[in-house]
Amino acid sequence: MATFDSSDRLKTVLGGFFEYLFTVPEMSQKLMASKMVLKFNYTEPELSITVDLTGPSPMITYNDCSKKPEVEMNMKADVAHRFWFGKVNLIMALARREMVAKGSIPKILKLLPVIKPAYELYPKYLEQGGYSALMIQ
Amino acid sequence: MPPDFFQFHCPTKIIFNPGISNDISAELGSLAVTRLMVVTDKMLVDLGIVDPVIAGLKNVGIQVTSVFHEVPANSELKVVKKCADQAIRQEAEGLIAIGGGSVIDTAKTAAILLTHGGDLVGDYSGAETIPGPLKPVIAIPTTAGTGSEVTRAAVILDEESHTKLSFVDRYLAPALAVLDPELTVRLPPKLTAATAMDALTHAIESYTSIQANPISEALAAKAIPLIRQNILKAVLHGEDIEARGALLTAAAMAGLAFDHAMVGVVHGMAHATGGLVGIHHGTANSIFLPWGMEYNLSACIEKYSEIAQIMKLPVEGLSAEAAARKAIEAVVRLREELKQACGLPNRLRDAGVTENLLEQIAEGAVNDGTSFFNPKEVIKEDVLKLVQRAF
Repeated sequence: MATFDSSDRLKTVLGGFFEYLFTVPEMSQKLMASKMVLKFNYTEPELSITVDLTGPSPMITYNDCSKKPEVEMNMKADVAHRFWFGKVNLIMALARREMVAKGSIPKILKLLPVIKPAYELYPKYLEQGGYSALMIQ
Repeated sequence: MPPDFFQFHCPTKIIFNPGISNDISAELGSLAVTRLMVVTDKMLVDLGIVDPVIAGLKNVGIQVTSVFHEVPANSELKVVKKCADQAIRQEAEGLIAIGGGSVIDTAKTAAILLTHGGDLVGDYSGAETIPGPLKPVIAIPTTAGTGSEVTRAAVILDEESHTKLSFVDRYLAPALAVLDPELTVRLPPKLTAATAMDALTHAIESYTSIQANPISEALAAKAIPLIRQNILKAVLHGEDIEARGALLTAAAMAGLAFDHAMVGVVHGMAHATGGLVGIHHGTANSIFLPWGMEYNLSACIEKYSEIAQIMKLPVEGLSAEAAARKAIEAVVRLREELKQACGLPNRLRDAGVTENLLEQIAEGAVNDGTSFFNPKEVIKEDVLKLVQRAF
């Protein structure tokens, strides 16, 4: 059974997490330094989240086709959920096609150390947001 | 201790024999192709290296639709597009690449368009983006360095943005790699040295990468002594088929090793330098290799000590750190010998790099994707010191 039962639920939880990340100063500062447009395309359920880091402040939009991303990551929502728990090895996920990365691979790899602290933040965010049912061990 | 997860995938059939490129009929039978387009560069055509291969193909009933010989030293998107268009027009059933890394990467990426159509950058740049198997690519390397004949990656220059685009996908691995050392005997000494040092860098960096696995380590561990023992022989005596064969084999082995384990800060610095000045990639790797090893020493004492033993250096009774230092010293000595033998530069200043670029090189190395796989964190201030010493 999929972790997220609808696109709305996925948008609330994962979209909310993206927005939360930018309230953490250290994380926000490092992500903004990348000056990229990133797009995450999720399936089961369907949703795309675009994170535009090219302006003075981050802009998060949903199912947005107006922006051309530098990096596009495609995956099942379940894989994304496990990823933010730090339970997905990106290299392994790419090798096994659990994730497909379009665009600059060096830029994707460069982001990995930057987002590492988010693995600790995601469970805290879920608990504080009342999403404890989504916790995984 | 093996890592938590590793995978090893080599769909490429590898055949080796001096002269075998003139008759690959046995292998072509299993590929079920009758119409192939040759991809190469003009210099190889002019040197007469391509004709015997074509004659061999024709002898076994393969129709060579045409010879695309417009591949430059660093292939570009427009070249790939032109190559693919020609193959599509002529209904080629596969591509046969005769050349170095640029030629092979051109054929690999052109095969994507030949098979699936679409837009090379928009649809396929990235990792694991190709929807299904490609029409076969047969790779016949004429240099012993890049290992592209066996890897699942290709790098093409976007001539408009001046950035190198990576394509990484299981389907990019050539169907067949033909290792014929006779095709490399006319490679000039300096290029022989530079390409072989590229392969040595692949082997050493993949051996110490955080992504190394027992299979990639075994391949790298065999490639290192093969290169060390044969590089000078091939540089000094270009017709030495045994040495040429050893280098060609080692380059493919090192290619398979880094295709799975990736590379590190030496490549990061070489990529950054290559983006600023027209330095040969192998030459840049050769210049940076001992400095990168020195940088990683504290994180790689055991691995370098193993490399010293693999190189059969006199390390008996030495501490692991002292043995590790012997491996670095051996690389430094090898570079000196190559400089004497063929003039391969071992300082950036002798390879066209000016002092004002050093900071940009350090910055570029830190931002390079390879830094993620380096065994030690790549920090700009520390890398700058290395680059200054390499200057």
